[in-house]
Amino acid sequence: MKWLACELHTHTLHSDGSQTLEELAAGAANLGFDAIALTDHNTMSGLIGKEEIERIYGLLIIPGMEWTTFYGHMVTIGLSAFADWRQVDRDRIDVGIESVHRLGGIAGLAHPFRIGSPACTGCFWEYEIGNWSAVDYIEVWSGTFPSIQTNNRRAFDLWTDKLNEGYRIAATSGRDWHAQGETDEPISVTYLGIEDDAVAENGDEAALSIHEETLIQALREGRASVTIGPLLTLKLNADDVDYPIGSTVPSVVERPEVAAQPILVNLTLDFSVRVGLWALPKQICRLKLCSNLGEELSLEVPSSSDGQMMQFEVQLTQSAPDIPRRWIRSELWGTVQGAYVRVAFTNAIYFEEGGYPR
Amino acid sequence: MKLLDLQGHASPEDSKTHIRIPFELDEGCGKLNLRLQYAPKTLENREKAIQLLKNSYDLYILPENREYAMENADRHLPLKNLMTLSLDDTRGYRGACHRQDELQELFVSEREASPGLTAGELVPGSWSVTLSLHCIVTDTCDYHLQIWTTEEDAI
Repeated sequence: MKWLACELHTHTLHSDGSQTLEELAAGAANLGFDAIALTDHNTMSGLIGKEEIERIYGLLIIPGMEWTTFYGHMVTIGLSAFADWRQVDRDRIDVGIESVHRLGGIAGLAHPFRIGSPACTGCFWEYEIGNWSAVDYIEVWSGTFPSIQTNNRRAFDLWTDKLNEGYRIAATSGRDWHAQGETDEPISVTYLGIEDDAVAENGDEAALSIHEETLIQALREGRASVTIGPLLTLKLNADDVDYPIGSTVPSVVERPEVAAQPILVNLTLDFSVRVGLWALPKQICRLKLCSNLGEELSLEVPSSSDGQMMQFEVQLTQSAPDIPRRWIRSELWGTVQGAYVRVAFTNAIYFEEGGYPR
Repeated sequence: MKLLDLQGHASPEDSKTHIRIPFELDEGCGKLNLRLQYAPKTLENREKAIQLLKNSYDLYILPENREYAMENADRHLPLKNLMTLSLDDTRGYRGACHRQDELQELFVSEREASPGLTAGELVPGSWSVTLSLHCIVTDTCDYHLQIWTTEEDAI
């Protein structure tokens, strides 16, 4: 699996940003991003000249648009054409999401707990979602140093609640990037996982050899890992089959001999990503496994300053027969700028209903 | 050629509504010009602004964080009216100009367009402007929309 560094929420002067697409692309390339999504408010006109800018900066630019409405902001990416944001009532957002899907795109809740009108018009999510299965992702981290903000904690909790209810929804970060400018605050990255065979060998411009649909598909399937530091990845191995982030471990209720085998958990912390573009103070961090059963594991791991790759392998405990495990994810916790926060988290791996192991 | 000159007033009750304004575009137009202006932009009555913010903090912020929010209410002041414009031609969407400017002077032509709008053929027929009243915080807000055509190289 190759992990591409993505920034999925950006603006230019085609809406209320104060940067051109070229300035945005240059800034993103300097910060080590492989891909960005342009999500201007209610317009896609900012994509003019995209191909040339992609070539100059070796950066993939995914088309998108932020539905900037009266009852919520919804980020949409990967659409082939415009989907109308103006016709959707408060109890009809499902129809809007459907229209995005029809055009090949995916839809996510942008900063769902940011304060709403009149401070930030429509910023708080007030749509009544009838069908949560249609929601592709939730932007659980918004802005710079996102893990410290209360509104992001509420978004993260919403995501966890939905996973507990059995929905398979991805989680992302988005800077909501409006202007170039230095910041001392940590910048978050959403890494999207691309199968090795989808990457053509193309030297430094590897990102450009990946079709944007491949990247959209990765997020659609929840192959995402979010961080303000090292890249954290998770893989399960059951019955000699690997299950990466976003995949589903099948039920083996029909095959008790397989269910008796423990599931192996492979965790990787890669400190070599985006070298020099982030820093984590030297400390002992906590690497956790979390699921609908709660915190299943907590390991002490040292932070690494020499860019090394750390791997951990543990066995998953059997869940109680009356409460099946529905999903599992990994989180890295540590102290950043004086606050103990989530440094990184993976998207979930799911378990087919019926339970594995029983 | 002048196509539309519309003045209107909005009040806080009009927040969260769209106003669709149709107009007809004639044959042989080189450039379509639009000018949207609305005023006032900000709510100057501090007492009233604080009350509006308090209402929204009660709605959007967890109880334990509301006191802190009130103490730091200045970061959300002054409160602003927000009205944005989107444009549709006979075939569909031509873009939106979602920004805070209370005066927007815009155009579309076959080769160029203002940021937010899409350049392309100016097909004669039924077009429309949609004003989206995201938020009106002042007792009244006057708006003025003018639409006219010119030769492509003219202003």
